Amino acid sequence: MDALLFALTAAAYVIASAIFFVYLFRGDTASRLPTTVLLFGFVVHTMALTSRFFQEGFAAVAVMGKALLFHAWLMVGIYLLMQLKYRLTVLGGIVSPLAFLMTLAAFAVGSGSAEIPPGFRTFWLPLHVTLAFLGNAVFALAFGVSLIYLLQERRLKHKRMTALMKRFPSLESLDRLNYTLLVWGFPLMTLGIITGSLWAGIHWGNYWSWDPRQISSAIAWLLYGALLHGRITAGLRGKKAALLTMFGFCVVLGYFLWGDAIFPTRHGGRFE
Amino acid sequence: MQNEIVIVGLNHRSAPIEVRESVAFENSYVRAALGRLRNYPSVREGVILSTCNRVEVVAAASDSQSAFNDITEFLGEKKAHRNSLPLEDHVYTYRGAEAVRHLFRVAASLDSMVVGEPQILGQLKQYYDTAQQAGTVGTILHRLFHRSFSVAKRVRTETGIGSGAVSVSSVAVDLAKRIFDRFDDKTVMLIGAGKIGDLMARHLLSQGVRSLMVTNRTFERAVLLAEKIQGSPIRFEDFPRYLTMADLVTGCTAAAEVLVEAPTVEKVLRDRKQKAMFFIDIGDRRNFDPKINDLDNVYLYNIDDLKSVAEDNLQGRSNEAEKAEEIVGNEVESFVRWMESLEQVPTITALRRRFEEIRRKEIEKSLGGNLKDLSESQRAALEDMTAAMINKLLHAPISQLKRNSGDEDDDSALYVAALKKLFDLEGK
Repeated sequence: MDALLFALTAAAYVIASAIFFVYLFRGDTASRLPTTVLLFGFVVHTMALTSRFFQEGFAAVAVMGKALLFHAWLMVGIYLLMQLKYRLTVLGGIVSPLAFLMTLAAFAVGSGSAEIPPGFRTFWLPLHVTLAFLGNAVFALAFGVSLIYLLQERRLKHKRMTALMKRFPSLESLDRLNYTLLVWGFPLMTLGIITGSLWAGIHWGNYWSWDPRQISSAIAWLLYGALLHGRITAGLRGKKAALLTMFGFCVVLGYFLWGDAIFPTRHGGRFE
Repeated sequence: MQNEIVIVGLNHRSAPIEVRESVAFENSYVRAALGRLRNYPSVREGVILSTCNRVEVVAAASDSQSAFNDITEFLGEKKAHRNSLPLEDHVYTYRGAEAVRHLFRVAASLDSMVVGEPQILGQLKQYYDTAQQAGTVGTILHRLFHRSFSVAKRVRTETGIGSGAVSVSSVAVDLAKRIFDRFDDKTVMLIGAGKIGDLMARHLLSQGVRSLMVTNRTFERAVLLAEKIQGSPIRFEDFPRYLTMADLVTGCTAAAEVLVEAPTVEKVLRDRKQKAMFFIDIGDRRNFDPKINDLDNVYLYNIDDLKSVAEDNLQGRSNEAEKAEEIVGNEVESFVRWMESLEQVPTITALRRRFEEIRRKEIEKSLGGNLKDLSESQRAALEDMTAAMINKLLHAPISQLKRNSGDEDDDSALYVAALKKLFDLEGK
C-alpha cells in the first residue's frame, strides 16, 4: 500500500519538476499549476509516511532509505510553507527535482526494515532525528536559494540578460532569505547535534565517539556557524555567503548519501 | 443601411514629422473637428486620434470609398492653410476587417514606434472619450473601441510585450530592481546635475526612492536640481565621503575623467559592510573605473551595457510580438462576426416587410375583385392562411441565417448579400 503511495509521490514530484521547468523557461511564474502538483505530491507523501509510521513506528524514518523519504518530505513541506510568504516559484524548480531524486534514491537504497533494538526506543531518538532532519531540510532550501542567487549574480555581472532571469527575485531579497534560512537552520542543527550526542551518551556510553556522521555534522556545524558569525559581524553576504551555504550543504548531503557506504557508521540503521 | 469601419491616417512610417505635425489636431480643437467630420454625409460615426506619432480618423461609414475621399479631404482641409505638401502620398486607408486589425494593433502598441510602450492605450481612451462627449460615437465604434481596449489588455497580460524596458534610464531602473528588492530604504547619489541626471532621478523617484543626493562641479546647479527633486545638494569635492551612504550611484557628467576609482569603492564597501551597490555610468564619457564591476556585491553598467540590454529586450520581444499578432487576429475575427450579425437583423426585418407587402397587396387585390363576396369570417381565415404561408416560407431561411451567425466559418455575409440581391431589399 505505502509502496504504491511512495511511487505516486515520486511521480508527482517528477511531474512537478517538469512543469516547473517548462513554466520557468516560458517565463511564466504566475501559474499555480506546478505548486499545486507539488502540493499533491506532498499530501500523498504525508499519507504514505503516516501509514508506514503506524506500521513500523519510528523505525520508519531511522533507516537510511526511509530517512531520505522523511527528509524530502520535510523539505517540500517547508518549501510549501515558504511559498505562502515569499512566492518563490523559481525555488520550486530546484526543490521538486531534489525531492524527486531523494525519493528515487530511497527506492535505490531500499528500505530493508531494520528493527530498532528495544533499548534504543526512547524519545531521544525521534527528537534527534526530527531536529537534525529539519535543520538539513532548511539547509537544502538555503542551497536552492543560494544557487538562484549565484545564477542571478553571474548574469548581472556579465551583463547577459535573459527572460528567465527576469523572473528571479532580486539579489537583495534572495540574500535576505538565505540569511533567514540560516538563522532557522543553525539552531535546529545545533539542537540536532546536542540531542544526538545526549542519546549517544545514554545508549553508547559516550557522548562523542568520532563516528563519521558526527564528524561531518561537526564540520558542517562549524561552517554554518562561521557563516552566521560572519554575516552578523563582518558583513559577509552576497556571493561568498551563497557559496559557503552551498558548500555546507554539500558536506551535509554528501555524508548523508554516501558516508555510510564509505565508512561504517552507527548511523543509518546500525545501532549496535 | 450597411455600415463599414474605415480608417484614414498617417503615422511615423507613412509620413515624415512635418506632414504629421501639419495635420495634427490640438487637444482643444478635437471636439470642434469632430463636429466638422460629422457633416460629411458618408461618415456615420467618427473618432479622431492625434498623437505625436500618428493622426488617424476611425469612422463607421455607409460607403467606404466616399468615406476615404471625404476623410482625406477633412484631414487636408486642416492643413491647407499651413503648407501644401500633398497628403494623398502619406495617408493609408483601411476598411472592414483590416481597419479593425489596424486599430487593435495600435491599441496593443504593436504599431508604435517603440513597440510595447504603454502610453498609446491611454491616449486612445482619451480620444475615444472626447468623441463620445462630442456625440460622434455610435453602436459600432463604441463596441470597436471597447474591444480594442480589452485586446490591448490581453496582449499586455498574455505576452511579454511591454514588460521589457525601453529607454536607457528605464533599463537602468529595471536592472536596479534585480539587485534591490525595494527602493524606499535606498539612497541614490547623482553625480552631475544635467538633463540625464534629472530624468534618471525622476525615474527612480517614481520607483519609490526617497533619499537623493545631488552633486555637481558647479554647486549652484546641484542645488537647483536638488530643489526640483527634493534631494540634498552636496559639494563636488565632498561627494566621495558620502559614497558610503549611497546604494545607487549615477554618473552623468560631461567630464572625460574617472571620478570614482575601484580602490575607493573597495574601501566604501568595507565601511558599509558589503551592502550591494549599483553604479550606473550613464554619461557619454566614463566616470567610473571599469574595475569596479570586478568587486563583490558591486555592479557597474555603463551606457553601452545599458543599450545592449535594451536591444536584448527588443529581440526577446519579437517572439512575443508573434503571440500578440495571434491574439489580435482572433479578436478581429470575432469582431467581424459581430459586425455581420449586426447586418442580419435589418436584413431579416426587410425580408419580412417585403413578403408582408406582397401579401397585403395581393389580398387587397383579391378582396376588391373575385373574392369581394367573402364573409367576415372567411376574410379572417384568408388573412390567417396567407400569414401562415409566409411564416412557413420564411421560417427555414431566417432560422438558417440566425444559426449561421454563431458558426466558426460562417457564410452569413454571403447569405445576407444573396438575400438582398434576390429580393431587392437594398432599394427600399
